[in-house]
Amino acid sequence: MLDSFEILSTSGVVLWSKTYVPIGANVINSLIKDIFIEERAGAAIDEDIAQKPTYKKEGYTLKWTTAKDLGLIFVAVYQSLIHLSWIDKLLDNVRALFTELYRDDLKKRNTTSFKCNFEPYFDRQVQELEKLDGGSSIAAQSSTSNSAAELTPPSTSSGADEPPPPPLPLLKAAGQKTFSEHAPSTDSTPIPTPDTSRPASPAVSHLLQAKQRPTSRRARKAASVAANSAPASSGDESPMYKSQTLRAKKARKWDANGMADEEDDTVLDYSSAGRGDESSKDAGPTSGVEAVSSSSWGTRTGKGEFVLKELDDEMDSIISSANAKKASSAEASGSSGLVGSSLGAITGLFRNVVGGKTLTKEDLAKPLKGMEDHLLNKNVAREAAVRLCESVENDLVGKKTESFTSIETTIRTSMETALRKILTPTTSLDLLREIQSVTAPSSSFLSSNPSKPRPYVLSIVGVNGVGKSTNLSKIAYFLLQNRYRVLIAAADTFRSGAVEQLRVHVRNLKELVTREGGGAEVDIFEKGYGKDAANIAKEAVDYAAKEGYQVVLIDTAGRRHNDQRLMSSLEKFAKLANPDKILMVGEALVGSDSVQQARHFNEAFGKGRGLDGFVISKCDTVGDMVGVIVSMVHATGIPVVFLGVGQHYGDLRGLSVQWAVRLLMQ
Amino acid sequence: MNQRLEDLLTKAWGPSLPVIIVTAIVALLLPILVHTFLYRARTPTSLPSFLLVGPSGSGKTSLLTVFENGSPAPTHLSQTPSTVQVQLPPSTKADSQKYRSEHDPTAKQRPKFLIIDTPGHGKLRNHAFEQLRKPQPHLKGIIFVVDSASLSSDTPGRSAAGLTEAAQYLHDILLLLQKRYTGAKSSKGPPELPVLIAANKLDLFTALPAQLVKSALEAEITRIRTTRAKGLLDSAVKDETLEEEREWLGDGGEGKFEFGQMEEVNVPIKVVGGNVIGADGSDISGWWEWIGEQL
Ligand SMILES: Nc1nc2c(ncn2[C@@H]2O[C@H](COP(=O)(O)OP(=O)(O)OP(=O)(O)O)[C@@H](O)[C@H]2O)c(=O)[nH]1
Ligand SMILES: [Mg+2]
Repeated sequence: MLDSFEILSTSGVVLWSKTYVPIGANVINSLIKDIFIEERAGAAIDEDIAQKPTYKKEGYTLKWTTAKDLGLIFVAVYQSLIHLSWIDKLLDNVRALFTELYRDDLKKRNTTSFKCNFEPYFDRQVQELEKLDGGSSIAAQSSTSNSAAELTPPSTSSGADEPPPPPLPLLKAAGQKTFSEHAPSTDSTPIPTPDTSRPASPAVSHLLQAKQRPTSRRARKAASVAANSAPASSGDESPMYKSQTLRAKKARKWDANGMADEEDDTVLDYSSAGRGDESSKDAGPTSGVEAVSSSSWGTRTGKGEFVLKELDDEMDSIISSANAKKASSAEASGSSGLVGSSLGAITGLFRNVVGGKTLTKEDLAKPLKGMEDHLLNKNVAREAAVRLCESVENDLVGKKTESFTSIETTIRTSMETALRKILTPTTSLDLLREIQSVTAPSSSFLSSNPSKPRPYVLSIVGVNGVGKSTNLSKIAYFLLQNRYRVLIAAADTFRSGAVEQLRVHVRNLKELVTREGGGAEVDIFEKGYGKDAANIAKEAVDYAAKEGYQVVLIDTAGRRHNDQRLMSSLEKFAKLANPDKILMVGEALVGSDSVQQARHFNEAFGKGRGLDGFVISKCDTVGDMVGVIVSMVHATGIPVVFLGVGQHYGDLRGLSVQWAVRLLMQ
Repeated sequence: MNQRLEDLLTKAWGPSLPVIIVTAIVALLLPILVHTFLYRARTPTSLPSFLLVGPSGSGKTSLLTVFENGSPAPTHLSQTPSTVQVQLPPSTKADSQKYRSEHDPTAKQRPKFLIIDTPGHGKLRNHAFEQLRKPQPHLKGIIFVVDSASLSSDTPGRSAAGLTEAAQYLHDILLLLQKRYTGAKSSKGPPELPVLIAANKLDLFTALPAQLVKSALEAEITRIRTTRAKGLLDSAVKDETLEEEREWLGDGGEGKFEFGQMEEVNVPIKVVGGNVIGADGSDISGWWEWIGEQL
């Protein structure tokens, strides 16, 4: 069973929603965050080619589709326990309906307010799809206030004078409830209305027009006429029901043979509607219909069926025309006559120069291939390059190029945006601030008893020979410059010479520190070879806490990311040493292996723990081929914290996204 | 008598009356036409505008809907910026109309302006920064929305993540505004660009009152600007320019950062509390007032 369906704009406003069971706003928020903004590749998405992607969160399954030209997202939420096969179809149909019905309203600029009465369409869609599916009916469950349906006795028709129907009352009248399914046969209520001129399946434009026009004057006049000529109404009949009836009558104009057996009732209702309308005149032109209590919707099942018929026809025509449009545009881009194609080519060329061309997949294919090759040349892993190109394609298909912009330029701009988005970290990376808040908790006014200071623990992992120890020393140097007391733990108990190498670094650093003075201090914590690295790390942290070191930097043994045995020991390491930050060092030189490296390390620390960032070493050796930065971030969604740019202790930099994007696009 | 006068006039005014009339009409109408044409063409952009910034979930988009419609609409994370045209409510007076009498008909015209909402997610803040980087002659102010309930920390001594995030974002915005001033060509500097810090969600009982929001943000920015100054250079910086690139928000001293320091760079900052959503409806009158003052 569907829990909720929302239609929202990319600017963040919910345009329309229907909730069967309330769900937290955070469910959809995390869909937007993980899928649309952070584009997490592995974020609980089931990729099933035949179906729309799904996203799972807190026991809910979310499916979505988008209308890019209007900036809309359609999201359906239901419980993961239930399998709903018709959601894909629902999303497609709703998208077609919604965009066709309200295209003009949605294109209005400089406003967020958007009013529509989409409910009947939606309910009907759900109902139909469910029926097709033979599954449980939401309608039955949700139409709680429809109990009155069978209570209204059929009345006899008097064939009373028919006031002209108000323009499209149905659409105004927002029905909260779905129509009851156990309706009496619709054929039993024919109503002769020869004077109406509306077609049975009204065009969309009609609907929109009618919607915008105040319901009022004609309807009100008609209503008062009816009120004068008809007996007093029962009062609690709803005007909304009334309007359905009228609509139904209109629809039945061709049916002139039977006596309408509910005519009387109709008139009564109408008069009451009219009165309501009259009395609430100053509440606005549409209030008469809109103010109707939603619970009355669907009380008259027989008539409801009529309305539904019409609604169905209308919806079908909208959906099929939308589909036809899609098909024809696909066809047009594919096959056309010789003249047509050459003409198309010329205008296409022209458009390409002048702009204003609507982009199709085919237009984009070639330049995107070029872009992909360009990225590969910059040492971006193929997987990442393909994904970036896909996201650019997704971004652009269906869009118009701006004036005087070629496709290539458009792609370039879009690619720059995509790169910037992927490289920009979600939260700011201020290592010093983090260290400060752990080691010297401020006794701010918000808290009377500051928490106890403890050492900040940072550890470094990576494959063999990428420069773990070197970068660790650079980080140590950076911290020493900021007057921290640093303890370096030699937890590489595996490779011979590793401890000695660190010792040399520490000696060098000590020298630099004494030259510069200040409160900085650096020492090494070592326990020789062969011992368990996780235990050494733990001991180092305890030792640092006791001796008043502020930062512990833990060097670990290099390991191949596909070495099961060594990788699995990282989990214990993370548990025992419990580092505040785990950074992985990757070489700027590495090629497509970078993606796998990043993934494997990210998953090695067990549930709930992953990498916190990357250090990309040897950036000075690759010139502008800094693609590894993109590959690693692409694989994991984890930011690049440091770049190693040279042989000196001071050659450590933060990542400037602007700079990286510039190099990559050169 | 009459005849003679006419003769005289005809002679005096030259060749023929029609020419005179036509010339006169053209002379009179042309400026009007040109004015209306230019004015028309420029109206969409010439409305004063305000920029809505702040961390994700602080209530910017909700506030936008309240500004426009008077009641909040449900919202989710924003991915794209949006611009909305808003009219000052009758209860608030624009500064420019303060001294007009109640009966002055122009006083009844509620000024219109644009509000530009930006996404607050860390990856999408570029939209906001772009707005501030390019010169914006119509930008009348910046509204920085913070979720006051996210600023207090559960672990004593540690700044709440919400506070750090808000302060970092605010720091970056203010730094950009400061650069705008120091980088300006003219000796007078750019025009004043006021900032309103809208302490939102005061309806929640965990929320800090506006005064505490102010001091919490100031204290956190003090910390941030010191660590920023000591932090690593980023990769874009060439070695030759090593130290010049360092940016320091506010005045040069190592002491406490205060919003008042920004007035030196023509950025007056005000902190006003309110709530977009709440049991008793929304209370955004203080923010309306601030907007009124800028118009
Ligand atoms: N209690 C309370 N909740 C509020 C208030 N203002 C906003 N909210 C809620 O805060 C949440 C986030 O609001 P948004 O307006 O979407 O946040 P935003 O600032 O636009 O976030 P981004 O678009 O991601 O930048 C919504 O669920 C609002 O209902 C308030 O004054 N009080
Ligand atoms: Mg928003």
